[in-house]
Amino acid sequence: MFRPEPMLKVELLCLTSEVQEVALLLARHGGFGPAAPARAGRGDGHGETYRELYREAAARMAKIQEYCGRHEAAPIPDDAVAPSERELAGIGNRLREIWQACSGCREKELRVEEEKRRFERLRETYVRLSALSVDPERLLRHDGLLDIRLGQVPAVNLKRLGEALSVAGYVLTVFDRAGDQAFVVAVGPRAEPAGGGRLGGLLGQAGWRDLPVPAELRHDPESSARWLETEGRRLDAMVAEHCELRERHWRQYSAWLGQARVLLALARPLAESSSLGLSAKGQLAVFSGWVPKRAEAALRDALEARFRGRCLMSARAPEPGESATVPSLLRHPFWLRPFATLVRHYGVPRYGEFDPTLLFAAGYVLLFGAMFGDVGHGAVLLAGALFLGGRLAWLRWVGMAAALSSIGFGLLYGSVFGYEDLIEPVWQSPLHDPARMLWLALAAGAVFIAVTLAINLYNRLIGRRWLAALLAGDGLAGLGFYAAVAAGLFGALEGVATTLAWVVAGVCLGAVALGVALETPGPAGERLVVAVIEAMEAAVNLFANTLSFLRVAAFSMNHVALALAVFAVAAGLEGIGHGAALLLGNAVIIVLEGAIVAIQALRLMYYEGFSRFFAGDGFEFRPLRLSLDEVQAMSRSEA
Amino acid sequence: MSAAYLNTRVSLFRSRLWPGDQVADLVEAEADALPALLEARGLGTLARGYADGDPRSLETRLVDILLDEAGVLLRPLAGAARRFLRYWVGRFEVSNVKSLIRAKMAGDGPAATAARLLDMGRFTRLDAEALMRAEDVAELMRRLERTPYAGIVRNARQAFEQGHDPFILDATLDRSYYDGLIERAHAVEAEAGPAFRDMVADLIDRVDLVWLLRYRFNYGLPPAQVHYLLPAPGYRLVPERLRALVGRPDIASVLADLPEELARPLAGAATIPEIAARLERRALDRAAAVLRAASPPLARALAYLILRESGLRDLRAVLRGRRLGLPVRDIRAATGAY
Repeated sequence: MFRPEPMLKVELLCLTSEVQEVALLLARHGGFGPAAPARAGRGDGHGETYRELYREAAARMAKIQEYCGRHEAAPIPDDAVAPSERELAGIGNRLREIWQACSGCREKELRVEEEKRRFERLRETYVRLSALSVDPERLLRHDGLLDIRLGQVPAVNLKRLGEALSVAGYVLTVFDRAGDQAFVVAVGPRAEPAGGGRLGGLLGQAGWRDLPVPAELRHDPESSARWLETEGRRLDAMVAEHCELRERHWRQYSAWLGQARVLLALARPLAESSSLGLSAKGQLAVFSGWVPKRAEAALRDALEARFRGRCLMSARAPEPGESATVPSLLRHPFWLRPFATLVRHYGVPRYGEFDPTLLFAAGYVLLFGAMFGDVGHGAVLLAGALFLGGRLAWLRWVGMAAALSSIGFGLLYGSVFGYEDLIEPVWQSPLHDPARMLWLALAAGAVFIAVTLAINLYNRLIGRRWLAALLAGDGLAGLGFYAAVAAGLFGALEGVATTLAWVVAGVCLGAVALGVALETPGPAGERLVVAVIEAMEAAVNLFANTLSFLRVAAFSMNHVALALAVFAVAAGLEGIGHGAALLLGNAVIIVLEGAIVAIQALRLMYYEGFSRFFAGDGFEFRPLRLSLDEVQAMSRSEA
Repeated sequence: MSAAYLNTRVSLFRSRLWPGDQVADLVEAEADALPALLEARGLGTLARGYADGDPRSLETRLVDILLDEAGVLLRPLAGAARRFLRYWVGRFEVSNVKSLIRAKMAGDGPAATAARLLDMGRFTRLDAEALMRAEDVAELMRRLERTPYAGIVRNARQAFEQGHDPFILDATLDRSYYDGLIERAHAVEAEAGPAFRDMVADLIDRVDLVWLLRYRFNYGLPPAQVHYLLPAPGYRLVPERLRALVGRPDIASVLADLPEELARPLAGAATIPEIAARLERRALDRAAAVLRAASPPLARALAYLILRESGLRDLRAVLRGRRLGLPVRDIRAATGAY
């Protein structure tokens, strides 16, 4: 629970002709995560071609599913085999044909939609146009002197187009706007060829579209309504036709697409391996990857049973310098998994490093309870957490744990919905002795920070980063400085001689500066400046972070103060008003202050805690799997 | 506090800029000594690339260096200043957008397309893998319209659909990018000071003038179309002036009608490359002056990035020229390191 699971670096030597079956077996086993091979040199391109074919096919499948909807696929049979390279190429070609049909259909759909939108705007514009005291016939008559154009252009391009047209002696006038389109008249001197020489491709680049003025509008504006209606029906028919076409595509291809999904799922393990862990030369291929130590025996047995000695497996523990490349497999009991999700938001522990999930869970729950201690409020939160569902279901257990902690601290403080005279406090109310609360919060913060420094020291030692472990501001030197200063301050408050403590603090701070200077490249002057500044910064940060824990005391007192404020307001009201004030006031406390406290507790854990020891730059163990849901572009799995 | 931090960071970075004579010395350094020389100046990634013999990765490594340093300078910034600088480095990704479209038009496969793209690291906003899998240009453009570059791409798509002209596509993308840059620069000019404004003006005026000359006299586009394709004027080349310039019949008459501040450095220039080079030189001189002076932090940061990019381009010219075996004279002529 405190560290990622032990992993073994595994290499499987097999025949090139059997790589697909090996990959499929590894995916069914579910415990092999591919990794870069130990030996230098890349494969002979066998796997790369397969991978590329898979990626193309998977990308097309994803696009088709996006357009046509997901198709039901039969479960993957136990004895199914992965498609060969040729079969995969065939699948890709067929998917391309289907996608071209779909995308052509889709492109037409989009154009029809655009046309419909344009048409709607046109309809409004014609209404306005017909109301103008302008004779369109005369407006659009071929004139020997003027080049008159009626059109529409995206409104964003209007200003620029007007300026550009003015260069050619044109005037641009807007007579209507609808949505993101502007309806305009452009008038300029007629030239040969008509407008073309002066304007070149200007209008096209500006997104100009000529406004068709139907003959009916020119001669008989009232019959334009009939024309508009006809056009509208035509577009609606086109939309209906495309909807039907899409349905036809779905019916026509759905069965085959379902089978293709299964085949792509079978192809994925080899495709994924060949991007990372597979190298081949001639008749032999090597799969490289990581396997959890506890799964090694089962994998060996499965390979032996299937390949009868044709697939040789060697396994070894990771070397010290490899820790950055070993994936982390974290296993948590069910009650810790929701907290693991919150930890993952920050990062994944590097292999071998301390897994902070349990520390985070305990710390977060305790901090929340300390800042929000009330039996009644905690009970309401508990009830609320029980009903969390949907996308927030994973937070249910976190909410329940925090609520139970709140109830626990409520008993310590003797507070029930803010009333402190309903039960005897096991300890004391926060406002009863604020100074004590502040000292305790400070002490808790100091202990917490010392623990995080110790964890960081452990991580650095595990990673054999000796210099950083000893001399860094968050290493042994920093821990020594912190402890010495704390001892010095405590001794000063108690009236005890503390010269030794301050000397130790000075030495440790000097060690921190030395560590920074050794790690900083550049000329001596720059190194000295950086060393001094960063050592001071490390020192100040330690105590600033400690003081940050005063907020725990502050929020615990704030909780009580808010309740007092609610009581004060309620006291000024009678009857229903009194009850409503209490109800509303408590609701505000639970919702608003509860949310603030939840965030503050998270902040303390992330910033004062994790940032000190948790690099979070590990990466999760991602074994090969056989799953229909994972037929998607591999860039996401490689990210 | 953050302004002081930014200022300090820029001052520390300043030592990474190579004086022109030192870059020029690289031209004639021994091949074996080159990686060590680069390593000594903190350009270890370039040194390794050089030793590998992979010219393509040199370009990527240069951009990596710039993006890393820009990322550091971005840290203390917030609001409009941060948006500006982020957009500034985003132009490398706009070049990726162009590469994606060109590759799709040429029918290149994903592997060949990927080789053309620059790795934007933490500044990545495009899912290049998914975009490369588009079947054709139309689908690619539709997908790009669902990315943060929708505004830039939409105009380009409409223009492209009208004429299927890749040149217009590129021109529209570039113009849209610079329009966005101007908008973000205006938002921050009051805070960043006149030095910042002058540097942006140098860039925009140079783009306006050089593109004007190229579109008019190399591509033969009519004045109205040229005017449309230029980024929004408003610095030294005010709208009225630009409107007049696009109608001039030749380069000499355009130069004769420039405002004094632009005309002076271009006196005697006759060709477009020469004009571009002189204006760039002037911009670099100004950036160097801003960096030396007690200018506002954002202005100094921008000045540093401009000079850094120019210096790295010169380094690239030296390294690539050496690899191609070009004459020393030609390599020196290609550099103008600061």
